[in-house]
Amino acid sequence: MIVCLAVVGHENNPLYIQSFTESDDALKLHHIVHCSLDVIDERVNNPKKSSPTINEAFLGLLYPTENYKVYGYLTNTKVKFILVTTDLDIRDADVRNVSLLFFRKFHAAYVDAVSNPFHIPGKKITSKTFRERVSSIVKSFGLSSAS
Amino acid sequence: MEEYPEELRTPPVALTCLVGCPEVHPLITAHLHSQQPPINSIALPDFSNISVIPPKKPPTDTPSAPVAGIIKRDWLSKHRTRIPAVVAAIFPSRDLSADPAHWLQLCSHLDNLKASIRGRNIKLVLLILTNWDNKDDTSEERILSLRKRAEVDLKNLIIFVPDHEEELLKSLNRVWTVFGELADTYYRDEGRRVRSRLEKKNYTTIELYIRYCFKVAIYAEFRRDWLEALKFYEDAYHGLREMVGTSTRMPPIQRLVEIKAVAEQLHFKMSALLLHGGKVLEAIMWFRQHTANYRKLVGSPEVIFLHWEWLSRQYMVFAQLLETSSPNDALYVPSTASVPEEKPTEWEFYPAYYYQLAATYMKEKNTCLEFALSMSIDVGPIDGNAESVVASAYLGQYSRLLEHEDTFIMQPLTDEEYARYVLAEGKRFQDSFEIIALLKQSFEAYSSSKVERAAAYCGLQMAREYFSLNDFSNAKQMFDSVANLYRREGWLLSLWEVLGYLRECSKGMSSAKDFIEYSLEMASLPEPTGSVKSFANGCGPAGPATLSEREKIHKEAFEVSRGELKLNSDEQNSAFKVNSDNPLYLEIDLISPLRATLIALVAFHQPTVKPGAPSLITISLRSQLPINVEIDQLEVQFNQSECNFIISNGQKPQTGSISNIQPGHRVETAPDLVLATNKWLRLTYEIKSDLSGKLECIYVIARIGPNFTICCRAESPASMNDSPLWKFENLLETIPIKDPGLAFSGQKAIQVEEPEPQVDLILGSSGPALVGESFILPVIVASKGHAVHSGELKINLVDTSGGGLLSPREEEPFSSDNLHVELVDMSCDTPGDQSEAPSDNIQKIQPSFGLISVPSLDVGGSWSCKLKIKWNRPKPIMLYVSLGYSPQSDEPSLQKVHVHTSLQIEGKTAVAINHRYMLPFRQDPLLLTKLKAVSETDQAPSLALNEKTMLIISVKNCSEVPLKLLSMSIETEEKSSACTIQPQQEEFREAVVNMPGEEFKKVFTIFPKVNSSKLKIGTVSLRWEREQPHSNTTASQVTKHRLPDVCVELPLLVVSSECPPHAFLGSPFLYSVKILNQTEMVQEIKCSISDSQSFVLSGPHSDTMLVLPRSAQVLVYMLVPLGLGSLQLPRVSVTSVRYSAGLQPSTASSLVFVYPAKPRIDIVMEAGYILSSSFNPPKTLFSSISKFPSPHGPRNLLLLPRAATIPLTIHNPIATSASNYPRIDKSGKFCSPRAARELALMTLYAACLQGSDPLRLLEKRLNARKEIGYEFDRACLMVYDHMTFGGPPIATQTVEEADQLLEIYQKESHIEAEVLSAPPNLVYSKLILLFTRKLLTAVSDNWDSSVLAIDKVAPDSWKNEPATRILEFSVLHLAMSEISVLGTRHQIVINEAVDLAKRFCDGAAPRVINGCLRTFLKELKENGQDQPQNVSV
Repeated sequence: MIVCLAVVGHENNPLYIQSFTESDDALKLHHIVHCSLDVIDERVNNPKKSSPTINEAFLGLLYPTENYKVYGYLTNTKVKFILVTTDLDIRDADVRNVSLLFFRKFHAAYVDAVSNPFHIPGKKITSKTFRERVSSIVKSFGLSSAS
Repeated sequence: MEEYPEELRTPPVALTCLVGCPEVHPLITAHLHSQQPPINSIALPDFSNISVIPPKKPPTDTPSAPVAGIIKRDWLSKHRTRIPAVVAAIFPSRDLSADPAHWLQLCSHLDNLKASIRGRNIKLVLLILTNWDNKDDTSEERILSLRKRAEVDLKNLIIFVPDHEEELLKSLNRVWTVFGELADTYYRDEGRRVRSRLEKKNYTTIELYIRYCFKVAIYAEFRRDWLEALKFYEDAYHGLREMVGTSTRMPPIQRLVEIKAVAEQLHFKMSALLLHGGKVLEAIMWFRQHTANYRKLVGSPEVIFLHWEWLSRQYMVFAQLLETSSPNDALYVPSTASVPEEKPTEWEFYPAYYYQLAATYMKEKNTCLEFALSMSIDVGPIDGNAESVVASAYLGQYSRLLEHEDTFIMQPLTDEEYARYVLAEGKRFQDSFEIIALLKQSFEAYSSSKVERAAAYCGLQMAREYFSLNDFSNAKQMFDSVANLYRREGWLLSLWEVLGYLRECSKGMSSAKDFIEYSLEMASLPEPTGSVKSFANGCGPAGPATLSEREKIHKEAFEVSRGELKLNSDEQNSAFKVNSDNPLYLEIDLISPLRATLIALVAFHQPTVKPGAPSLITISLRSQLPINVEIDQLEVQFNQSECNFIISNGQKPQTGSISNIQPGHRVETAPDLVLATNKWLRLTYEIKSDLSGKLECIYVIARIGPNFTICCRAESPASMNDSPLWKFENLLETIPIKDPGLAFSGQKAIQVEEPEPQVDLILGSSGPALVGESFILPVIVASKGHAVHSGELKINLVDTSGGGLLSPREEEPFSSDNLHVELVDMSCDTPGDQSEAPSDNIQKIQPSFGLISVPSLDVGGSWSCKLKIKWNRPKPIMLYVSLGYSPQSDEPSLQKVHVHTSLQIEGKTAVAINHRYMLPFRQDPLLLTKLKAVSETDQAPSLALNEKTMLIISVKNCSEVPLKLLSMSIETEEKSSACTIQPQQEEFREAVVNMPGEEFKKVFTIFPKVNSSKLKIGTVSLRWEREQPHSNTTASQVTKHRLPDVCVELPLLVVSSECPPHAFLGSPFLYSVKILNQTEMVQEIKCSISDSQSFVLSGPHSDTMLVLPRSAQVLVYMLVPLGLGSLQLPRVSVTSVRYSAGLQPSTASSLVFVYPAKPRIDIVMEAGYILSSSFNPPKTLFSSISKFPSPHGPRNLLLLPRAATIPLTIHNPIATSASNYPRIDKSGKFCSPRAARELALMTLYAACLQGSDPLRLLEKRLNARKEIGYEFDRACLMVYDHMTFGGPPIATQTVEEADQLLEIYQKESHIEAEVLSAPPNLVYSKLILLFTRKLLTAVSDNWDSSVLAIDKVAPDSWKNEPATRILEFSVLHLAMSEISVLGTRHQIVINEAVDLAKRFCDGAAPRVINGCLRTFLKELKENGQDQPQNVSV
């Protein structure tokens, strides 16, 4: 299950962050997302260490914690998408396909949101439409992963 | 890791035992330990101590009995420290050889030993201790029997020689080898024994399987067979996994604890082996699996904290292992292909990751422990029992130790009892410090890897832990550093949480300032993203980050700041209240996080302003605080403090507490000073500054309430950037100033200009400067509208071509001589009133810089000074002059006005001096050096010794101004005897004006007297000055030119040719070539002459001759010119045979000009010569001539001699012989026939010179126009003596007499000139003139016959040089014509002719003429033509 989604800007500042949990661990999820930025930095700065698929936008598993797994995605404009899930036992290959699909959808939503003429690039995303769309994507992803 | 026993942490080492002879034990143990691999050894001094080796237990007969545990706690340590693999019995050799009692003793020891080690299969080694000296004493027989008794092989019996170094080392090595081999065998045998049980499935329970596996692994480790060890550890681990679900042996809690303890140990062994083998990836995978396996085995809820503690320990130990194993390889990722499942991410290679998780679990444990403690209230009473609970024999098992009649009985525990025990144990420990320690380790590890966000998270957790311990200062420090990161990256929610903690910390530390700062920052934070509703709690002490919460914090902060609220409710901090004793002062600068709370932008509306002129300034304030803030007073501070002003709030009456306004300060009142959220408060005021320079706003200080001040550093709108927190917010963009242009470009500083200078600075220039002279440049300071006070004039000389200022480029050391241009002097006209003290006059001169103070000038006054600049080399420079002054006299330091001017001046070389040597005309010395070095061009010029050489110095004016040359001299350097130079020095009588580009030449003669190859001639120094018509103060300059050294040598041969300067067509002349031999040898000279078409010549054509030493030979040629004009003489080439050198005169020197007839110029010269040979000195003549009024220059006198120039006196024979003819008639004119004859001769002579008709010449002279203003002095005629002529030389007795005579002669010659140059009409009477005409007519009529006659009678010497005898011939013509045509009596005529000759011709001429005429008469009489006519005069 997806518990948190974040869009992080160039200065590692959060542009959009939404959690989908009922409990009050939003702050903890913030910290997890924030810490995972270190991994992204390291992967981007030291491409030789990481997998040869650095050209790919999908960064894969960033950061396993006890309860969560963190996945990353880097757009061409160096905006980072970070996904926190609680699906611990899924094999990497499955997650890869599913989450890649998810990130593609999410990317499309993001592109639509920032293409809004009233949106100023680099500012936080406050569009309600975007929020709704993301929620629906998350829901459908939960379904597809369950199936 | 430290909690594990030592035997577990380190790899096992083989153990041996030494018995007997304790003196060699240290030697052997040290050696065994130092070898690789090392061997540990137990040293038993005596054979009685052998019992320390535990005896083998009897094998259990009941295999079906339940196994009490998995692994015995002390099994490993027993094998590592107490059961040796090898026992060495050491006997001294004397025991073998000595008496039988010893031998028996030895045998019994051996038997005991064998008995005690038999069961354990321990290997035995015999060491026989012997001395080097009696090494071979030991009997073979005894040794053999000993071996038999001990049942050891020969190789296991070692002769040990401790007292010989070499031998000792050998035996020690032997011991080590034997021990190693035997230990290996022992451990292999043991391992094989246990393994065989595994292979035969000879175990009943899974516990035994695990135990056996463990034992095999340990034995393998003893043998350093890591692979096998790892395999069996893995097997044991897997076995353990199986046991989790199946075992029912113990109560569930304790069972799980035991399994976990064993698993922990097994896993530790495996991890250590893997990591030491460099298999980091596998270790990590194993660890991941291990934690995944056991994480879910939480166990029963009441002791759940044990599980978390265990898990935390797993992570911590693994982190430590990872850290210690090989930190460099920790990040190394092996090939990804071998791991099909998820490969570890980067972070799993960081030990920090594991520390962090260990801390997390420890925290979990802490939470659970607290919960468990709170649940079980009855923990306290069982404390007494808890003490008796100890660890039992098996690993991970605990039992109660009961004291029962002096024996201790281990009693198993129930789960409840155990739970109580561990709770009581857990209570004793402070977990927080452990958590902090773990987090700190993680924090440091992350920080060192530059993983700052994860480190910050650890820091945050640490700080929270500190906070929970009420350690506020540590907590605040950590929180602050974390907050910085969140601020920078705009993680609002995290920042909100941290700030909430910080606010509490500062409350705890009773710091009002910090409290207010954090509160204000929190209040002005933007809304965090995400759904607001879900942040109800979990955000730390600050509560949810909502607007209402922010408003609450805002209000609280301002209440504290007004002193209405005490900060801390604690009693001990009651003093903490903001009041007049503790005012609150906040400072907000460019990087302060409080910029969101209050930002002050200041913009001037103009970039520059005139001094004293008003300028508008806008101050814009903005706050992001959620509630409006009312400011009581604003103070704006500038760098010029007199511009500071205060804006007070019009809404609020001035309260007494804020009246800190200094008197004289400007106070403005604004209608209201309320800051609304995210709205700019704009205030525009006028501001004036009288001070030029930069006026910059520095602070805007806001006062809120009596004791709260916020000092905000002013910012320019142009350079404003939003704080990182608000930068990403989707807010309405507002501009701080209404004018958008100003909002983007406004600056907080303004440039106040200097006042306009009203003083002229004029540089007068007089053309280019000349090198060497002191160039005077006037500088005029003229005041137009300002008075000048304490003025300073700065002068700078700058090289226009860039480069080094004025210092020379060359590497010469810096000195004033090397300066190309220097400022020499500055002289100023002192003002009329000498009011200023001289001490005020600053004057400073450096070569390129000058400073002079200008006296005070009133408006309209002016002052000037003169700069004297000297150019040492030609160079263009830029002269910058700047004047700084203050218009007011009262404040000299206040404000200076500056005027600048510049002028480019070229420095030029004034004169160029050249020189040239010339030999005398037509003279060629033969110089050997010249012969030899023809090729060398830079050869010093050669001069001939004792020959005169011309030195021509030419001075060219290179400047643009006319120069006056004053003098020129040659200063000889060496002794003057070396050569003489004439003239040494010449002052030009009248300064020679050398126009630009003109060349002036001066000739010197050099007469070298010393034969030298390097004669220093000297230096030409030329004194000159700039011609300036107006000023007479210019100093003359001297330009020097060093003449190069010359080579002087004796010319061996000198060839000089001689010929007249000109020739006449058809008349022969002589051309002689003289060869002078200056050597001591006879010189053979070949000479030849080439024919020339223009000349007919006679003389030796080609000849060889010998010139005697120190003598000369002359070749003489007679040449008759055939052509006209400038002709080349036939070339005579002279060749010296000895030197094989030809001497050939240059073509220029062998030219001669051929006239068609004799030119007059030379005759004049001859005449002059004649005249000078008479007594009258020629000087007198010329000086008298110069008096003659003539429009032409003196040169013309020489070229066009009038008849008057030849003073002819006609000697009147009648007057002298018979004075019946009066000399002067009634009209005062000459009337004697002598005068007529004189005039005729004069006219005839002039006609001859001009080649014109004498009659016509006479007419011309008679009709010549009178000169205007010319008055003829008739008195002269009275004094004029027709008969004066120079006789023989007169000798006088005294000087006075000579002077007297000279005076008389001068007077006479003066009169002569006066008379003879006068117009003839005035001098002679008409009759005389008539007679003169008659005479001349006769001469011209009778010319041809006279020529024939003269040719007959005249001497040859005259006929050969007709040009020099014109006067004499004229006398003859005149006389002959008078005799033959006019028929005057010949006595009279001859007498007159002789007299004329006496007067005008030189010595012998009168007599010759007399002779000639007598001969003529004789011939005339012979021819019978003596028909003289009677002529009456």
